[in-house]
Amino acid sequence: MGLITMHDSILYWKGCMSRLRTKNISDSTMALLDRMGVNFETLDGNEGCCGSVLLRTGQVEAAKRAAEVTVERISSGGFKEVVTACPGCFRTMASEYPKILEEVPFRVRHISQFLVEKKDLIKDRLGSVELKACYHDPCHLGRHMGVYDEPRELIRMVPGLQLIEMKNNRSRSFCCGSGGGVRSVYPDLSREVAKTVAADQIPSGVQLLVTACPFCNFNFREVHVGQFRVMDLPELLLLAWRV
Amino acid sequence: MDSDDWLDFKRDEFKKWMEDERRRTGLSRAVSAYTLAKESALSRLPELEETRREVRKIKELSIVRMEELVKITMDSVRDVNGEVYLAKDAEEAKEIISDLTGSGKLIVKSKSLTSDEIGLNEALEEMGNSVYETDLGEFIIQLRKEKPTHMINPSVHVPREEVAKTFSELLGREVRPEIPELVGVARGYLREKFCNADVGITGANVISAKTGTIFIVENEGNARFVSNAPPKHICLTGIEKIVPTLSDGFKLLQVLPPYATGVFMSAYVSMITGPSKTADIEKTIVYGAHGPKELHLVLLDNGRRRMAEDKIFREALYCIRCGGCMYECPVYRILGGSFGNNYFGGIGLIWSAFTAGEAQVAAAVDACTKCGRCKEVCPLEIDTPRMVERLKEKLVKKGFVQPKHAEIMKSILEKGNPFGEDERNNYSV
Repeated sequence: MGLITMHDSILYWKGCMSRLRTKNISDSTMALLDRMGVNFETLDGNEGCCGSVLLRTGQVEAAKRAAEVTVERISSGGFKEVVTACPGCFRTMASEYPKILEEVPFRVRHISQFLVEKKDLIKDRLGSVELKACYHDPCHLGRHMGVYDEPRELIRMVPGLQLIEMKNNRSRSFCCGSGGGVRSVYPDLSREVAKTVAADQIPSGVQLLVTACPFCNFNFREVHVGQFRVMDLPELLLLAWRV
Repeated sequence: MDSDDWLDFKRDEFKKWMEDERRRTGLSRAVSAYTLAKESALSRLPELEETRREVRKIKELSIVRMEELVKITMDSVRDVNGEVYLAKDAEEAKEIISDLTGSGKLIVKSKSLTSDEIGLNEALEEMGNSVYETDLGEFIIQLRKEKPTHMINPSVHVPREEVAKTFSELLGREVRPEIPELVGVARGYLREKFCNADVGITGANVISAKTGTIFIVENEGNARFVSNAPPKHICLTGIEKIVPTLSDGFKLLQVLPPYATGVFMSAYVSMITGPSKTADIEKTIVYGAHGPKELHLVLLDNGRRRMAEDKIFREALYCIRCGGCMYECPVYRILGGSFGNNYFGGIGLIWSAFTAGEAQVAAAVDACTKCGRCKEVCPLEIDTPRMVERLKEKLVKKGFVQPKHAEIMKSILEKGNPFGEDERNNYSV
């Protein structure tokens, strides 16, 4: 692999969840990028950890070390443009690295921002998906990074899909319950939050819950009671893609 | 930490709350009622958007000037013939108040989180006083020997059926689980206590330094009785409640009720500037006309100055205690009164850590998802998730690390992922 091709291509950063727990997200993201003809690479199992979980659990020194290693790994690959489907990685790299590190020599965006920019490569390729869908704003993506419109714009590009909003959405959206290191120490609480949020917030008749975060995706998939499917944003676009 | 006590007791508390259907029912009914009422009130008060920003500025300024405002308040209260004290911690505050009440007295109280913070009731009862909480919610949980679970609505977790049981025991007759009937029971029972009490103890929502005025906001009318009927009124409040002027106090008063209970204005606001007095006979001032002869204001530090010194935690002192963030918190909705210690919810973690000690809430801090919804719904936009992260960072340095989180850290540093999985072997660099 020469450096020149690396400069041309973007880095799709999978994040630990999509690498190891929600492969449905990384697989579909890569398949989608392929179909769009996007030149991308991944670091796969050599990614390491962005440090988000460490920051959330107060282990700041370790987080800083993880951040330094991550930046070194990405920049030594020559990447100038990083795209991730994990809002935790996105927030950490885009908004918190600049606070704890001297220099972050690349741009980081959430996949929804990237896809909206490239929407011309997508919009005529999507076939009809006749479902009533509801979108869940992830905390890291919405409240913490202000990205509310891009995922909705992408969902609305799918013909036949009816987007219904949750009772509380955008900045008032409810956390799925797995953020902040809660899931690892209080899994029952985490599941209970997801269950309550799904029951209280999703309007009746919804057949598909669209997530834009591997943690939300994992948590909602685990507790949903069968009335609706749970899919992450790239999965939905891939599903709609006409072969 | 050598022992895992800080973890175990919280885990038990969480479990009890999560499994208690009765409490969950009470809480979820209250959440629905609150959110509807607030939404409706706020939609009809667009001007509040500007007012709440002004209040944020008032609080920012007041906390910077806190020491100075304490002095001004002490002078102002003395000028109007009140007595005033500054207590550095809970023990000192209890001593001051116990000295003022003495023993063997009938004491009525209106709701005061600050009195819960210092464990005042227990101290007064130990001295042989009879203490009656008169706010309906506080009255209910006092009878049930439970702890309050919400700032504004301390019995939020007790549904009507349970209240009926408690009141039936109190009166020795069957009381039906009809809410108006239950309210009537409290009214009937407490009326005589108000009139015969030796001492009335209240908190305060705001203090205006310049005039030495105590603002008490309420809906039931019990705080009026408590602060007015007995011959001695003791007001206990934190030093962060002081704002410079009456006008500042009025600004805050406009924001509190809509966010606290979804009403434009609370039924009653008492403004108390010195004890009751008259000069109607020969222009000679006599104290204690129809109201109390003595007014004592006890200002409490108990960790507040330490909070003010830290540029991140200082923001917790801006809290006007509307309690809205708690109803709106996905974790509080499930953990209720176990999500905190003497204060609840995200902001309550900060308050509990400073006033009751970090070990009390170290494990509860890890139940906060740092989702930031509380900041969104806060009228003062207090950045609670940032404070919780900062508190967690501080706790970790002191050894309050969840074993699971330590394991995750080790795995991240050694294997590059939090799950303890070997990945790099599969990857050719």
